[in-house]
Order: sequence, then structure tokens, then C-alpha cells
Amino acid sequence: MSYVSVSLPQLLLSLGLMAIALAVSAQSRLGLEKDLLLGTVRAAVQLFAVGLLLTLVFRNQHPASVFGVIAVMVAVGGWTAARRIAHGPGTWVLFRYATLAVLVGGVVVLVPVFAFVIRPPLWYEARLLIPISGMILSNAMNGVALVFERVFASIHQDAPGVEQLLSLGATPKQAVDRHVRAAMNAALRPTINGLLTVGLVALPGMMTGQIVSGTAPDQAVRYQLVIMYQLVAVASVAGALAARFARRLSFSDREQLRTFADRRVG
Amino acid sequence: MPALLDARGLRKTYEGRVLLDGVDLGLERGTVTTVGGPSGGGKTTLLRILGLLVEPDGGQLLLDGTDVRTLVPHAVRRRVALVAQAPAMFPGTVLDNVRSGPRLASRDLDESAARELIVRAGLEPAFLGQDARALSGGEKLRVAVARALALRPEAWLLDEPTAALDDERTSVLVGLLRELAGEGAPVLVVTHDARVLEQLPARRLELVAGHLIEHAPGRRTS
Repeated sequence: MSYVSVSLPQLLLSLGLMAIALAVSAQSRLGLEKDLLLGTVRAAVQLFAVGLLLTLVFRNQHPASVFGVIAVMVAVGGWTAARRIAHGPGTWVLFRYATLAVLVGGVVVLVPVFAFVIRPPLWYEARLLIPISGMILSNAMNGVALVFERVFASIHQDAPGVEQLLSLGATPKQAVDRHVRAAMNAALRPTINGLLTVGLVALPGMMTGQIVSGTAPDQAVRYQLVIMYQLVAVASVAGALAARFARRLSFSDREQLRTFADRRVG
Repeated sequence: MPALLDARGLRKTYEGRVLLDGVDLGLERGTVTTVGGPSGGGKTTLLRILGLLVEPDGGQLLLDGTDVRTLVPHAVRRRVALVAQAPAMFPGTVLDNVRSGPRLASRDLDESAARELIVRAGLEPAFLGQDARALSGGEKLRVAVARALALRPEAWLLDEPTAALDDERTSVLVGLLRELAGEGAPVLVVTHDARVLEQLPARRLELVAGHLIEHAPGRRTS
């Protein structure tokens, strides 16, 4: 089997699809035309830029460039997970913890799989390390973001209950146990649902990609299974770390609930 | 006799407003103290500092002669009961709530002991199986008192405990506070309630402009 390439004129033809979406938006007066146009251009620019970067990295394969790209993924993942967390200590404080959670989750899940399961011919093989790390790190990022958002919001909402537990002699861990467990549950739920429905509703992107580019389906399936198990493991590890960090950030060293926007006076 | 709970020079500023401006307050064993004063004047903040939920900006707090900063906070809180004005109820029944404190310390409280505690707090035994979150404000307050009783605290801090209680329930609660003091605990009550001030023999203080002012005996305080 060989793979079927897409020429630039053929790619331009696919812009007709965006024209259909634009027409629907205009016809139904959705007011989405501006975003659609911007999205069409941005998607193309971003993907071509990444493609160019990957071409460069693949052509001059070197540990420094491969791990440089992965380091950028970790940092961007940390930043994204730390953004827009209401009732938390702020993006800059969270950034360090989010990045650490994404990094540790990624290392714990990726290193053993590359060392024992996938075993690339070259230990820094860019075409394996970069895309697989990207998938795993982005799931870590989503897990961390969900845990941060949920833990801080639910502690904020139930501050009187948390302080009541403290008053009865609860340790900080005991006082927010309920909230932390609910947040971790919510963070793992999407990945677990993915496990349960994979293949039934949609074929996963990587598997589809491998099949399209000529890999035998049974091999594509094996790869996909490894990835799915990695996704669950990384969400667990990064989510658990994020939960621990969020709990620590929610209390002072005198075991007092921190008020990121102070509540009661009088 | 040295005070069990001894605050020295407490200071607290919130959003540029001075709530406590060097407050000294000694709570001796077996005594009752009431604190009044204008609302928003820092009374709740004072209670929350004494209950270790809020850190003062300055000053010192001693428990039985030891600076609380040298003690483990959750161990101190177990010894000092803080009953909030609108206490939060945990999910579950009244029994679950009364058991929550001992459970945090890995101790069990049997049902008959819990029943005794809610009766002592002024609730009928039938409340034990009810959903704590569905109770009225006055009932929740009494569950909170029973929940605190379960830990056998050495000192009591209560914030407007009778605000949602009728005359009869108020008398029951005042009776309990006198009992607790009689058993040797210092009791501090933030209150404006004339019924409490009338029925409860106590040292009367007012928190005004960040300072605690002692009322001369016999002077009307309500």
C-alpha cells in the first residue's frame, strides 16, 4: 500500500467546504462569517508553520531539537491549564504547578512506553516522540485544567462548610477531601468515556491517520490501544498532582482557608 | 487564675479598615463573657481569630499559656469550639453531623451518645434521622452546638447563637452555656440579644472602633 498525496491545487479545492459553511452562516444570518474566515486562515497558517517546523526537526534529527519541541509543548500545556481559573491564586502562581503536573505526568507515562513498548529505532526518533508526546501532554493539560477549575470553584462555593470542618479539627486534607475527589472524578471521566466508546462512535484520529497513510489496521489498532491506556494513565497522574497542588494552595501554613477574594468580615 | 485562652494585642485590618486595634482579652476557666458593639465592627473576625480560622496581622494568642503558633492548628481547633451564626451543615442526617467531629479524629460516637448530645443542645431525639440541610436556622444552630459538644471542647466561642431562636429555646441555650461554664470551660458569646444579656451572668464587653471596652457593672448594655 502507498499513500495518496494531496497537491496544493487539490488542497485549494477543499476551501470550497469553507465556502459552504460561509454560505450557511450568511443565509441563516448566524453572524459567524468573520470567525469562519479568520479560522480558515489561522488554521492554515498554524498548521503550515507546525509542518514546516516538524520538517526541519525531522530532517536534522537531534535530541536537542526533539526535546526542545516537547519542552515547548509542556510549557504551553502548563500555561493553558493555568489560565482562566476562577477563585484561584492567579495564572502566574498556577503556571508553575500546572507545568510541573503536566511534565511529571508526561514523563511517568511516556518514558516507560518508549523504553519498553514502542521502542523507536532511534531513542530520539522525532516522528514517534513528537506526535505521541503531543497527544499525551494535551490530555495531561486537560486533566490539570479540569482539576484546578473544579477544586478552586467548589472550595470557594463551599467555604463555610470547609471552615466548619476545620473548626471541628479537620486537617486541610480532610476538610477538602470531598471536593478533591469530585474534581478528580470529573477530570478522569472524559478519558474513561473515550475508552468505553472508542471504535463505536468514531475512529480515533491517530488510528485513522495511520490507516490512511497505509498502515495495516491491526497495527494501527495496537498503536491506538497503547495511546488510549497512556491517556488514562497521564490524566490520573497529572490530575492527582494538580489536586494535591490545588489543596496546598488553598490553605495557609497555619491551615487556614485562603480567601482569594475575601468573604466575611464583621 | 491564668486565662485558658489569652489574646494579647490582636490587630486586624481589612480593606484598609482597622477592625482590631490591639485587643487584649483573657478568657478564664468557668467564666462567661459577652461581646457587643456595632455590626461590621469586627466581632465575627475576633471570634474567627480566636478559633484559628483567621490569622491576625499582629498580636499573640495563648492557649493554656502556650503560643498557638507553636501548636498544630487542627489540634487546637479541636479543643476550642466555634459555633458560627449560620452554621454550615454537612450532607447527611443530624446523626451524621453530630458524629463528624469524632470521626475526623477516627473515633466513633454511638447513637445513644449522639441522642444525648442533641437533647442537651435543645433538640428532640426524633431529629437524629432528619436531613440536616433541610432544617430551619434555629435547628441548625442547635445541631452545630451538639456537633461541637461531641468533641468535649475546653473553650466555647459562639456568634449570635440566639438570633434564630424563640424565647423558650433561648432560655434552654442560655442554661446550657451556664452549665458549660459551670463545668469549667470559658464561654465567649457575641450577642446583641437582650434576652441573653438579661439571663446570662457575664462579663460584658463591647468592641468599638477596634477596642474592647468593659462595661461598668449594673450599666445597661442592650
